[in-house]
Amino acid sequence: MRDEVPHPSSLFPPPSSLFPDTIAPVLTTLAVLIQTLTGAAVDALQPPTGAAAIVYVFTSTDCPISNRYAPEIRRLSERFAKQGVVFRLIYPGRETAAAIRDHVRAFSYEESAEAFRDPDLALVRFTGATITPEAVVIANGRVAYRGRIDDRYADIGVDRSTATTHDLADALTAIASGRPAPHPVTQAVGCYIADLAR
Amino acid sequence: MNRALTAAFLFVTIAAGLKTRPTYGAVAAGLKTRPTYVAVAAGLKTRPTSVAVAAGLKTRPAYDAVTYERDIAPLLSDRCAMCHHPNGAAPFSLLTYDDARRHAKQIAAATRARYMPPWKVEPDDGPFVGQRPLSAREIELIDRWVADGMPGGASQPPTAAATWTDEWQLGKPDLVVTLPDPFALQADGADVFRIFVIPIPVAGERFVRGVEFRPGNPKVVHHANIRVDRTRASRALDEADREPGYSGLIARSAEYPDGHFLGWTPGQIAPLVPSDLSWRLSSGTDLVVEVHMQPSGKPERVQPSIAFYFGDRAPTRTPVMLRLGRQTIDIPAGERQYTVTDSYVLPVDVELQAMQPHAHYRLREARGDATFPDGHTKRLLLIRDWDFRWQHVYRYVTPVALPKGTRVSMQYTYDNSADNARNPERPPRRVRWGQRSSDEMGDLWLQVLTRNRQDLVTLDTQFRRKVVAEDVNGYEIEIERHPGDTGLRDTAAVLYLELGRPLDAARHFQATVDARPDSAAAHYNLGTALSVARRLDEAMRQYQRALAIDPQYANAYNNMGNVFLVMGKTDEAVRAFSEVVRLQPGSATALGNLAAAYAAAKDFDRAVETADAALKLKPAEPLASTLKEQRDRYRQRRSAGR
Repeated sequence: MRDEVPHPSSLFPPPSSLFPDTIAPVLTTLAVLIQTLTGAAVDALQPPTGAAAIVYVFTSTDCPISNRYAPEIRRLSERFAKQGVVFRLIYPGRETAAAIRDHVRAFSYEESAEAFRDPDLALVRFTGATITPEAVVIANGRVAYRGRIDDRYADIGVDRSTATTHDLADALTAIASGRPAPHPVTQAVGCYIADLAR
Repeated sequence: MNRALTAAFLFVTIAAGLKTRPTYGAVAAGLKTRPTYVAVAAGLKTRPTSVAVAAGLKTRPAYDAVTYERDIAPLLSDRCAMCHHPNGAAPFSLLTYDDARRHAKQIAAATRARYMPPWKVEPDDGPFVGQRPLSAREIELIDRWVADGMPGGASQPPTAAATWTDEWQLGKPDLVVTLPDPFALQADGADVFRIFVIPIPVAGERFVRGVEFRPGNPKVVHHANIRVDRTRASRALDEADREPGYSGLIARSAEYPDGHFLGWTPGQIAPLVPSDLSWRLSSGTDLVVEVHMQPSGKPERVQPSIAFYFGDRAPTRTPVMLRLGRQTIDIPAGERQYTVTDSYVLPVDVELQAMQPHAHYRLREARGDATFPDGHTKRLLLIRDWDFRWQHVYRYVTPVALPKGTRVSMQYTYDNSADNARNPERPPRRVRWGQRSSDEMGDLWLQVLTRNRQDLVTLDTQFRRKVVAEDVNGYEIEIERHPGDTGLRDTAAVLYLELGRPLDAARHFQATVDARPDSAAAHYNLGTALSVARRLDEAMRQYQRALAIDPQYANAYNNMGNVFLVMGKTDEAVRAFSEVVRLQPGSATALGNLAAAYAAAKDFDRAVETADAALKLKPAEPLASTLKEQRDRYRQRRSAGR
């Protein structure tokens, strides 16, 4: 595991006066390197040309809960594309590019979200994500939202027939209009990223 | 649907006269106080928390290290591998050290929450077949193993758990039936319940010792309810839907065969029963499989198979299925603690073989008890955190003897508030009994064996009355939902007649008449209920209407004749029964009834003559003996009169 990317919270403790629940703003010069499926290194914090915000959805090929969210992720990607929001799938740990390609195809992500690998957990540690599926919104070089997509899962094995709060969509709506997310940090329910690192 | 009651039925009912309404007070009074769980709950507090365990690690000597090989692999093999193997029902395999290591935190969290292995009843209930809860010590072991960094063990690579076979778990089947065309499950949305109807290709009669269900796509199939339908009702519902299977309700005619549970939840396979306890499968029977599926995020195809295992001889013992539960469930929106109770005092000695609790999403706690004649109570099962997804059948390793006089009872508590995350309605709304998953149910099924055939008949007869009394409540709710469904009304009315509530029967038959005034059968049915209720003039008018529509309606003449007899109009009765004999010349019953009418009119010559004519048709028993007694009595009366 590489250690050259420090965990941002150790460098910049959260300024509680600004956004009480927000994760610390960080310098945009700090690079967090993730990989494309062909192995090219990409700075995870650098939005592609024309994009205002990036949504990373931490996922894995065999987590049933993150898989069940595929249609919702596709819908959200389409809905927020006009506001310059780009969705990306991020596969932490050892999953191979070939397995990820199969997964992207099986769940019809091709048009909705590009897949990236985080083999050294650089983005995991930068964002503090612990769960698949967990969404992280990067805007202006900082984490503007981290947590669940919605509240369909109350706990492992306890799910609602439909979600009652749409935390990621609400966060994106606010962020796209220049306001902070109403709840910048929420608790995701699903599979543990710590296991994927092994 | 418009069913006509049979003439024979009426003949018996009129003769038996009015029955009293059953009282339900005794049953409802069964459960008096809510049981307290203090002792059990207190026991849980002694379980060490993971913090305490982690703290303990520092002082633990090195030789005590928890390793995969020694401690974890046996647990995974014994409790998890039946689902967590490649292509198994679980989302990932746990057969190797690498598998276990890569899901370690998940395993620790799921076992600590007692979400896995799925075993909803309290660990000290039972023992049941296939019971696989982890003990507090075993959960602690997993915690320690994860905290230690998941050591493998002495071997390199560490010795894995047992391998898994993909063969049928019950052995080579005698017959496998498979859904002919796969069902296409959408990628997204709420859970899907689909009922598949599959003909079982057997010639003649077979004796079934067991079935094994294969979901076909274990990643999306969560559980299956299996029934058999000896009628064509389920098949007709399936054929009305263009896709494989149909959505809706399991037909009433699709039943558990001969008191045997059939069904499947992941990891549970019912063992084969001995041949003498098998169930009869006749040709032309359909398998009815209700499959509960969870969309996976991508389109899926589902094609279940069911294996049959046959015995070599006919059953000599038949279990009885007792159903405790209420169909009067009516939970206000927001109600956090709504309790349903029911109980039944056993009229004969039985052995309790197995149990299955059933409810939908709002149930929180399910409890079943047996209170013995000496007053002591044994808890049969307690589920503190009901999960609709895990509807196991709990089969005792050793059946529990319940002597005559034992009261079996159930107490279910529901939470219809927004605090219950599983509540399917947001905001909560009032919910009543019903079979759709959006409605609620509350049943505890008990499978019992009696000592002998006679006890079986006693129990079956007695219990049926209780079930029918409860079923009419459910029918009333369904009729309220579908007031124009005359089939529902007719079925409910027949049940009311069985319960000795002819006025309730007449209420529903009247609705059928209103909906279908041109149906002779509808008027006849209403007339029948009114006859039983002794509303004779009104009954007579209905029979007249039935005959105006269908002058060949023998049953209407028959019931008319009975009403004339009750009214004392014997000449009219003779004329009515003569019409029946004219329309049904080969019927010994018709001749017997006419003979009775002659006797009532004090024409014993003709009474004897007609009874003799009936006997010449060589009717089956018990009618033959009844006719002989009738004839002898008329002969005596004839002699006495001379």
